[in-house]
Amino acid sequence: MKASEKKAKEISKKAKEKQKTILESLKSHGAKIYEDLENGQFPKFSIPSRSVGNIVYDKKLRQYILGNSTALRSAKNSAQLRSFTQLMWLAFFANRLTQEKKSSTLRDVYYSSQAFAIEFDDQSESDNIIVDLEAVTSRPREDFHIFPEERSSIFGDLNIEYTIPGYEGKKMNLSNHPDGYSIGPSLTTAELVDTSAEIVIAIEKGGLFTRFVEEQVDKKFKSIIINTGGQAPRSTRTLLKRLHDEMGLPVIILTDGDVYGEHIAMVIKSGSANAAHLRELTVPDAKWVGVWATDIEKYKLPTIPMTESDIKRCYDLQKDPRYESGIWKKELQVFLRLKRKAELEAFAKYGLTNITDKYLPQKLELAKSL
Amino acid sequence: MSSIKEKFNQISPSEFFYSNRDLAGFSNPTRSLYTAVREFVENALDACDQKGILPDVHLTIKAVDPDKPDPKPYILTVKDNGPGVDAKHIPLAFGTVLYGSKFGLKQARGMFGLGATMAILYGQITTNKPVIVKSSTDAKIQNQFEILLDIQKNKPVIQKHTTKEISKKGLSVSICLEGDYSKAGNKIRDYVYETSLITPYATITFDDPKGQKFHHPRFVKEIPPPPTIIRPHPHGIDVERIRRMIVESQFEIPTIDDLMIEKVRKDLGLSKQNLSFTAIMTKAKKKWKNLSRQVRVVIALLSFLKMDFEKLSKIRIEDLDVPNKKLHYWDFGDSQSKTVDMDPESQYYKQLTNTVQGEPLTTFLTKRFQRVGPTTAVKFAEFAKFKPEKRMGTLTNQELVNLSDSLQKFDDFMAPDSSCLAPLGEEPLEKGIKKFFNPDFTAVVQRPASAYSGFPFIVEMGIAYGGDIKSGGPHVYRYANRIPLLYDEGSDVVLKVVNDTDWGRYKVKGDPPFIIVSHICSTRIPYKTAGKENVADRQEIERELRLALQFLSRKLAAFMSKKGQAEMAKKRANLYAKYIPMIAEFCTELAGKKKEPNYKKILEGLEPVEVKTEKTVKEEKPIESK
Ligand SMILES: Nc1ncnc2c1ncn2[C@@H]1O[C@H](COP(=O)(O)OP(=O)(O)OP(=O)(O)O)[C@@H](O)[C@H]1O
Ligand SMILES: [Mg+2]
Repeated sequence: MKASEKKAKEISKKAKEKQKTILESLKSHGAKIYEDLENGQFPKFSIPSRSVGNIVYDKKLRQYILGNSTALRSAKNSAQLRSFTQLMWLAFFANRLTQEKKSSTLRDVYYSSQAFAIEFDDQSESDNIIVDLEAVTSRPREDFHIFPEERSSIFGDLNIEYTIPGYEGKKMNLSNHPDGYSIGPSLTTAELVDTSAEIVIAIEKGGLFTRFVEEQVDKKFKSIIINTGGQAPRSTRTLLKRLHDEMGLPVIILTDGDVYGEHIAMVIKSGSANAAHLRELTVPDAKWVGVWATDIEKYKLPTIPMTESDIKRCYDLQKDPRYESGIWKKELQVFLRLKRKAELEAFAKYGLTNITDKYLPQKLELAKSL
Repeated sequence: MSSIKEKFNQISPSEFFYSNRDLAGFSNPTRSLYTAVREFVENALDACDQKGILPDVHLTIKAVDPDKPDPKPYILTVKDNGPGVDAKHIPLAFGTVLYGSKFGLKQARGMFGLGATMAILYGQITTNKPVIVKSSTDAKIQNQFEILLDIQKNKPVIQKHTTKEISKKGLSVSICLEGDYSKAGNKIRDYVYETSLITPYATITFDDPKGQKFHHPRFVKEIPPPPTIIRPHPHGIDVERIRRMIVESQFEIPTIDDLMIEKVRKDLGLSKQNLSFTAIMTKAKKKWKNLSRQVRVVIALLSFLKMDFEKLSKIRIEDLDVPNKKLHYWDFGDSQSKTVDMDPESQYYKQLTNTVQGEPLTTFLTKRFQRVGPTTAVKFAEFAKFKPEKRMGTLTNQELVNLSDSLQKFDDFMAPDSSCLAPLGEEPLEKGIKKFFNPDFTAVVQRPASAYSGFPFIVEMGIAYGGDIKSGGPHVYRYANRIPLLYDEGSDVVLKVVNDTDWGRYKVKGDPPFIIVSHICSTRIPYKTAGKENVADRQEIERELRLALQFLSRKLAAFMSKKGQAEMAKKRANLYAKYIPMIAEFCTELAGKKKEPNYKKILEGLEPVEVKTEKTVKEEKPIESK
């Protein structure tokens, strides 16, 4: 048997194992409900409470997690009956998806429900039930083959092997296509084989991503470049985490010089309160290197004034425990003092390649000491 | 029943009403046709009610020329099986305004004595045709009149008078008038329909101009007791009414004519004997106890005149001057006025002064008012700071005002006697509502009698929900003295009270299917206009309406919350029945089983809940139908 074949087998074995545990978990939940009904009782289960009061910041994990309080969901409660049934259907649907190794989007889920006479008022209702399923099973929806529509992209010297049906064992180098590869289910579930890169650069904007590719940042700085497309989708965060954990790559983040940019970095680093029920989405060691508020002054960047909502966002974030210290706290204060913000593109003032020629090297250097 | 002939009174000329016909509801062809129907139907029902006859009323409207467009002349005929009107009264009753038999203090639909005549007048003005009245009071002879009205003189002009043999009592009146049935039809049909709800003991038939027949047979066999004339209640009476009552109550010196003398002689047992003055007086003293008041007055006069019967028949009393103790009379024999002095010490003098000064206060109160007994009268006199024996004829203006004020303030009078009114009664009202609307819930109430301005009134009200009632309620059916009120809704006191109600508080929400039937009965309904369409908001009436509505609304609220609970339980059961099987289906596949779990046990476990709710609804029925 060739080495590659052996590897492929290993990979599919790993994937199968993961699939098995997921299916087991779904089955055990289903069996409990079945038993209740068979015994003539209203089925019930408990679910970690996602109410604001139960979302706490875990300093050790460096992310938001759910506290200990749980809520009982019972089919006896007529007010919960509908959402109970919706969740049961979703588990049933996720079970099929996982078994058949088919992927679907959030929107697909919403429409699929109609084939089963399960009514969701709108997609936000079905999205919410998906979060319920995540909370009950403590697994991200991606494990159940449910993916968001948003796509971000990746470029760099990284070899992967697909695990999705029909592509199992197929290899790919992610520097072959200059537009980058979109990060979807097949990429997030792929096996990360090897890489020559030494760092991952996550960048907020598609425009800059293209510039970075053009300027061969991947080669010049031995890096994998990821476009987060604004707030990083979960699949992207999963991939970032895997690149960090499995390939041992440090992750740095470049965002616009405003409060939203700062928070994009924070979510990659330590998750969002919305996903407090999940723990596999954070890269606690990731580093935000810019654009900082202090950079605006340091590099004399062209600025635009902050809006009302920018300012309000600053004050909101000041209440977040993660912003209580370090650069997070300091930069927020400077933003509030300046009341102005600057975009990544602002470096074009000094020439189109200034950002890759001057700024990036300085920041990469700096990152080592952060 | 009562055989007393209705007393006819004539008050004022037609011309005033001719120029004010808008007030009476004759403003245009549409409204006039409707009002004319009303006036005649109400007269027919009034007549039957008062004689305790189960009414059969037949209303016919026919176009003179069906092919003409509206407005056009119509012939309107209303026929009843009532007591009819005496031939000699017909020209006045139907040919003059303000001539009626219903001015006395009793409940009737008619009250102004002008309804019929206004309709006839309107017909005559618009078509120049006479009214045809056919009446039989004895089921043997029918009198037929064709009458035109002389508006200037308020006088009927008889065009034709014939009689014929007949076998049925009753009256029919027929006029030709300009009307617009295409516009008034709805209101007229509503009127007939609503009348049959509040007059369940009447059979009303309506043949409309398009050849349609609307037949509303009676569904109650007992006629409510006919109303009787009553005395006023002391509460809320005014100075003017007291003044008029005093005038009525003051005893007059009887006219001493031959008839009177005959009576005196008979009462003294002296019909055949011609006694001297002294012998008459001795006889009178002996018989005094048994003599009537009138005879006593004549004897008292005689005591000062010192005459025998022969002489007495030749004089006429001119004046009784109580302060100066003089009696003036005209002597036909001598053809001159004469005067005698009266001895104030004489017992006869007292008899005469009593007569002129009127009754003592307590007698006045007990005799002229309802609900005042001798004890109450004395208590009242004390309260009002009058001597109980104070003579009514001697009250000064200021004292009259004080008396009137005190009558209103004194709290110990009993509530007016409701037997003098003729409300429909809770039972027939409820029966009617159930028959008309087939509702899920009905409640009715009759408030105790109350009074405004000395006129007693009773509020009856019913509320019904669901069944055949259309949504968008409350739909209010207003009645006053068994008349449906269909026009001028905006300014009516009943609607004011209904609109003031916050139905949300009574768990009535959304577009509810419910109706309110309100009936005000009174000897005098305070209508805003002579058209009798809306009731003015007298504080006392408004209060009673509010209390009645509150009472019923609370009952409705109780029904609504029970209904709400039952609906909730049903909804819940439906939810389980819908979702539990789905949960079973999904978890079967999830758990990797082949057979679905036996979830039926859960649904069956719910069953008692459903059965229970149904039972509560059923049990509710007898409670509602109290
Ligand atoms: N169908 C009838 N049967 C017997 N009597 C009648 C009939 N119609 C009218 N009358 C007599 O004629 C009178 C005059 O009727 P009219 O309608 O003019 O006055 P009303 O009914 O007394 O008062 P209103 O103006 O309020 O109607 C009545 O009071 C009644 O005595
Ligand atoms: Mg009348």
